[in-house]
Amino acid sequence: MSDANTPSDVEPEHDHDHHDHEGPGYATPQAAIEEGDREKLAYVMSLYVGTDVDAPDFVAVVDLDPDSDTYCEIVDRIELPNRGDELHHFGWNACSSSCHMEGLERRHLIVPGQRSSRIHVIDAKDRHNPELETVIEPEEVFEYDLSAPHTVHCIPDGEILISMLGDADGELPGGFLELNDDFEIEGRWEPPGEIEMNYDYWYQPRQNVMVSSEWAAPKTYYPGFDLEDVEAGNYGQRLHFWDWEDGTVEQTIDLGEEGLIPLEVRFLHTPESTHGFVGAALSSNIFHFWRDGESGEYRAEKVIDFESREHDDWDMPVPALPTDILISMDDRYLFGSNWLHGEVWMYDISDPSNPRRADSLSVGGTFGEVQEVQGRELSAGPQMIQLSLDGERLYWTTSLFSSWDEQFYPEEGERGSVMLKADVDPRKGTIELDEDFLVDWGECPEGPARAHEIRWPDGDCTSDVWQ
Amino acid sequence: MAKQHHDVTLEWPDADRETRTVAVDEDETVLEAAERADIALPFGCRTGACGTCTGRLLEADGAESAAGDDERGTIDVTDAFSYRRSPRALKDRHRADGYVLLCIASPRVGCRLAVGASVHTELVDNPWK
Repeated sequence: MSDANTPSDVEPEHDHDHHDHEGPGYATPQAAIEEGDREKLAYVMSLYVGTDVDAPDFVAVVDLDPDSDTYCEIVDRIELPNRGDELHHFGWNACSSSCHMEGLERRHLIVPGQRSSRIHVIDAKDRHNPELETVIEPEEVFEYDLSAPHTVHCIPDGEILISMLGDADGELPGGFLELNDDFEIEGRWEPPGEIEMNYDYWYQPRQNVMVSSEWAAPKTYYPGFDLEDVEAGNYGQRLHFWDWEDGTVEQTIDLGEEGLIPLEVRFLHTPESTHGFVGAALSSNIFHFWRDGESGEYRAEKVIDFESREHDDWDMPVPALPTDILISMDDRYLFGSNWLHGEVWMYDISDPSNPRRADSLSVGGTFGEVQEVQGRELSAGPQMIQLSLDGERLYWTTSLFSSWDEQFYPEEGERGSVMLKADVDPRKGTIELDEDFLVDWGECPEGPARAHEIRWPDGDCTSDVWQ
Repeated sequence: MAKQHHDVTLEWPDADRETRTVAVDEDETVLEAAERADIALPFGCRTGACGTCTGRLLEADGAESAAGDDERGTIDVTDAFSYRRSPRALKDRHRADGYVLLCIASPRVGCRLAVGASVHTELVDNPWK
C-alpha cells in the first residue's frame, strides 16, 4: 500500500504539529536537531546467516530509553520468513527530502538481504512492534540482472532507490534498482552499464548530484577477503558523480592506491553543500571531495590517514580499516570507526579541506584499551555507527559482514555482537565511553547473533537527505 | 521409473551434531535434498556466488578424498558433482582442494561431505596474521 495515499495516522516518536510542513521529516537539518526528540528506540539489522543456527535473520528493536525498565534490551524481533538473507543495510521509504510531500509518511523500512537479494518491506506504523508487510523475492530482482542490494534511500517523490552490487550472477556490473511507492519494482534507475562496481551512494538533489562508491563484485567479497583479489584489481578505488535527474555518470574519480575500497560516502547535510567524505577502508584513508567552483568538476583529496600498527602476534602491520563514517547533523563533525584497530574517532570538519582530530576512543578490536564492558568481553572493533540527532550520543555495533567477521574476529560469531555507546560533547569536541550502556546479541533466544546497521524511527544522520 | 539418486553423508566437523545421510536425486542439489529432509545447512545466495553453503568432499564412491590433507587429488570433485551453474564463489585452488557449493551441486556418486559454517571459513584466512 502506498504511503503517499494513506491518512497521516503513523505513530512517530514526535509529532509534526509544530511544523510548518505536511510531509515526513524535518524542514532543515537544524530543524531535525531542534525538533527531533531523543532517540528512544533503535532498529538494528541482526543476522544468523552463515552460522549453524537454524533461524532467519531479524530486525531487532532496541530500547534506548534510560527511564525504561527494558533499557539496553532487545524488546522486539521482527523475524523474516527465510534463512540466508544476511541483513546488512536498510532505509526508510521516505525521509526529509520528501518533507513537502503531503500525505507521505516515514513508515516503511526497506530491508534487503545482501546475500539472498530478497527485499523485505516492514511496516513500522507501531514503532515498538513493526510487522513484515511485503517481500520481493530474489527471482524478481534477478529479472533486472541485478543482485546484492545494499544502500536504500528514498527518492523525494516517494520512490525508493537501492544500490545493487552485482548482476544476477553475482558478477559485475552492478547498478540501481528503483521501487515505486507501492513497493513494487519499477525497474532499473540508470541505463545499465554506467558503472562496473557499486557500493554506497548519497545524493544532493539541490545540486543535482549523486555520488556512488565501489566495493567489488559480490562473488569477490562474499566468500571473504582475499589479498589475491586486491592484487588482481578486483576491489574498487573509484568515486562516481552522477547527474541525479538523468541517472547518468558525469565524472569518475580514481582515488588510486590510497583510495582502495571506498565504502561509506556522505555529503554534508546542508542541501547547499557540494562537500562530502568517503572512507577508503583497505588503504585506511579518508578522502574529502567537493565541486570546484571554477571548473564545475568534482575533486577528491586524501585528508585523513590512519597508519597501520605493528602487533606482536600478527605477521604484518595491521591496517586500521575505517569501515564506517558519518557526519553530524550540524555538519560540524565527521565520526568514524576503525574496525581492526578498535577505535571510534571524531574530526572537526568546520573546514572540510582540513579536518582537525577532536577526540577518539580506543575500544575493542585488535588494539583497543577497553576490551570488556560490564564484564562482557568485546569480540570485535567498532563498526556501524549512528549518532543522535543532537550529536551527543554515538552508538555502534561490531559486526562487519559475516564472512569477514569470521576471518578477522572469529569470536564474534561465537559470542555475538554488542551495541555500545559513547557520550559526545560537541561543544568541547570530546567523546567518552558510557560503560552503563551495553546491548548484547550474545543472549538471543536462538543463539548469538551478529548486529549491523542502526536506524532511528524518525530519521538519522545516515539516512536523511534534504531537497 | 524411480529417479536416480545417491546417498550423501553430511558431517559437521566443528559442531556437536549427528552425522546424517540423505538420498539426493540427480536433478536436485544437496541443499535442496537437505531441506527436504529438514536438515539445516548454511546458505546465502543460492546461485553459487557467495560460498556460504560451501562443503568439502571427504569421500566419493568409496574412494577417500585427500582434500584438506597433505596428499591431494585422490578423487576429483568435478567427477563427483555436476553444477547447475558456474560455482563463482570458488577459486581454482578451492576446487582443487575439494570444496563444493552445495546450493548448486548435484552428486553423481555416493559421497561423504564436511558441511556446516566452519567449512566456509576455511576458504580464506586473515592475510595479516
